[in-house]
Amino acid sequence: MTSIDIRELTKAYGPVRALDRLTVTVRPGRVTGFLGPNGAGKSTTMRLVLGLDRPTSGTALVGGRPYTSFAEPLRHVGAVLDAAAAHPARTARDHLLTLALSNRIPARRVDEVLQETGLAGAARRRVRTFSLGMRQRLGLATALLGDPPVLMLDEPTNGLDPEGIVHLRRLTRRLADEGRTVLISSHLMSEIALTADHLVVLGRGRLLADAPVKDFIGEDASLEEAYFRLTADSAEYTTREGRS
Amino acid sequence: MMLTPVLCSEWTKIRSVRSLLVTLSAVFVATVGVTVLVHAMVGRAEADNADFEPVYGSYFGLNFGHIAAVCFGVMATAGEYGAGGQIRLSLAAVPRRGLFFGGKMAVLAALALPVGLATGFGCFLGAQAFLGEYGVGLGTPGALRSAVGCGLYLTLLTLFSAGVAAVVRSQVGALSLLTPFIFLISPILYGVSGIGDVVAFLPDRAGQQILHPHPEGVLGAWDGMGVMALWTALAMGAGWWTLRRRDA
Repeated sequence: MTSIDIRELTKAYGPVRALDRLTVTVRPGRVTGFLGPNGAGKSTTMRLVLGLDRPTSGTALVGGRPYTSFAEPLRHVGAVLDAAAAHPARTARDHLLTLALSNRIPARRVDEVLQETGLAGAARRRVRTFSLGMRQRLGLATALLGDPPVLMLDEPTNGLDPEGIVHLRRLTRRLADEGRTVLISSHLMSEIALTADHLVVLGRGRLLADAPVKDFIGEDASLEEAYFRLTADSAEYTTREGRS
Repeated sequence: MMLTPVLCSEWTKIRSVRSLLVTLSAVFVATVGVTVLVHAMVGRAEADNADFEPVYGSYFGLNFGHIAAVCFGVMATAGEYGAGGQIRLSLAAVPRRGLFFGGKMAVLAALALPVGLATGFGCFLGAQAFLGEYGVGLGTPGALRSAVGCGLYLTLLTLFSAGVAAVVRSQVGALSLLTPFIFLISPILYGVSGIGDVVAFLPDRAGQQILHPHPEGVLGAWDGMGVMALWTALAMGAGWWTLRRRDA
């Protein structure tokens, strides 16, 4: 089974450390919720794992190998980074096809993931006509394309309708039950409480918690409360009243 | 990782965006269209002039059509950096950036060359057809070379623009750099006396030497093409270096 192994990972933009010696292992067979205030380093971590950004120091490995060493990486890791990451003039199907071809994924699989994400009816529509929710579904379809053992979803619930959220919850559950590694970032505490088995919490680029959801909540009334107590000092932007 | 899947993917990226296909067709349509139109209207009247060049005159439409080649190169490359942020997905699918960039450039060249050659021969044959008794054949010295040269010129111009776009990483940025250069700066500098020998080395000036059966100035027909190829290599090298070095 495939884990994501992050060791001493640091990313500095000038004097600012977006990520500061993060060490964590994301394990297969469970849904790992990835939490933290804006600017905590969640998206940076995902970009570093995918080799899109270069780390200042440290390593991020998928199944023991750097992502960039995979010949057909979409078959190893599926990621949703940006809901709108598609050329607006391309149809949903063509968008998926360009990615599938580069990794020698059969065109049949494109139609399967369109079906699976509820986009079959919109397959031949241009992406610019898509709502945010449909773009999220397209992002999810992209991630599923290579049937990968590892999935990284950056705020996949943004813009999803209630039906989409429930569908995503069931899907991530199923993927984890199949033994895959699922890392999912979100700002919706209630949703993460329903979806995740395990939590990794970042604040200002550092690891604040790495624990099962049950242990994380502990004595607190809810996940939300436990989260605010933990991240009280790391939020980049705060409103005093909000946390009284 | 192999090259063929990347080529298939890059070809599909172009095939699936209508504006790219339209722009590529515009290279042929605008260039040949303007040439034929002008020759149909004033071709024979002009042919009496002492400085009339039946071969070079065939490529009059290039003054308008070559901007389409610039647009095609820019749009195909910088389109990845649009609001969609497609570049991240593209590089997640093909993490070896040299392979990604090489594949993209190869597909652009493979599309621009046949369209460029068709444009070159279309211009020459179209123009001669309207010149009547003043017209010359492809057997005329320098004629065949000019038609092939036009195709090479358009191919290199496409790749040059693609390289610049990969450095600038924005369609608007790249076009606002290249369009005034080709339409304004290069022609204006060409008119300034005393610096002709330097201006001759600008990519578009150098590349167009081959359109003349008897090129004047410091660069010969193939020298000029060589200079343009160097510019193109430089732009593509800079584009590749930018892609390699920068975070996506």
